Amino acid sequence: MTAFMWASFGLIACFVPLVFVLLFGREIDGVVALELCGTLTTLVLICLAQAFGRTAYFTLPVISATTTVVGGLVFARFFGRVL
Amino acid sequence: MTTQDLLVDVLLAVGVAAQLLCSIGVAVMHSVFDRLHYAAAATTVGPFLILAALLIRVGLTTQGLEAIAAIGVLFLANPLVVNATARAARRMDYGGVDALPEEKGS
Repeated sequence: MTAFMWASFGLIACFVPLVFVLLFGREIDGVVALELCGTLTTLVLICLAQAFGRTAYFTLPVISATTTVVGGLVFARFFGRVL
Repeated sequence: MTTQDLLVDVLLAVGVAAQLLCSIGVAVMHSVFDRLHYAAAATTVGPFLILAALLIRVGLTTQGLEAIAAIGVLFLANPLVVNATARAARRMDYGGVDALPEEKGS
């Protein structure tokens, strides 16, 4: 077990408080939690890619970061207009 | 354990702790605007510490450059998302983004 594997476990644990926000918060609070989930996912993928030692896996965090930003903008636009 | 390994461990531990603090902050705050403060902070300190740990380990290789790209996208574009989300929340709660009469200065 490398330090990056332990770091990925710690980052995955960070999802737990956000699950409560997603389940019990308002819709817009869920959007905020979802944005943070995207950030955490990007960091988890970076740590796991380094822990597994596979160069090809480092493409995933770049895609995750991009989709997190685009998804957040789409959700914000949707909530601002519809609800 | 070398000094480099120790530095990587410390940077990773502090970075993960920063992210955990932001997650707990998002969970315990009451208003959406307070939650946004913590969600925005999660793209600054923690990711850069984890990036520093990675760069110490791999240097400016393909892995390092792709990690710089990923965290750079988050750091530069996340303020746009936070701003758009805050405007959406403001529109939902107050019907618009203009300042209320009691919010305007004298």
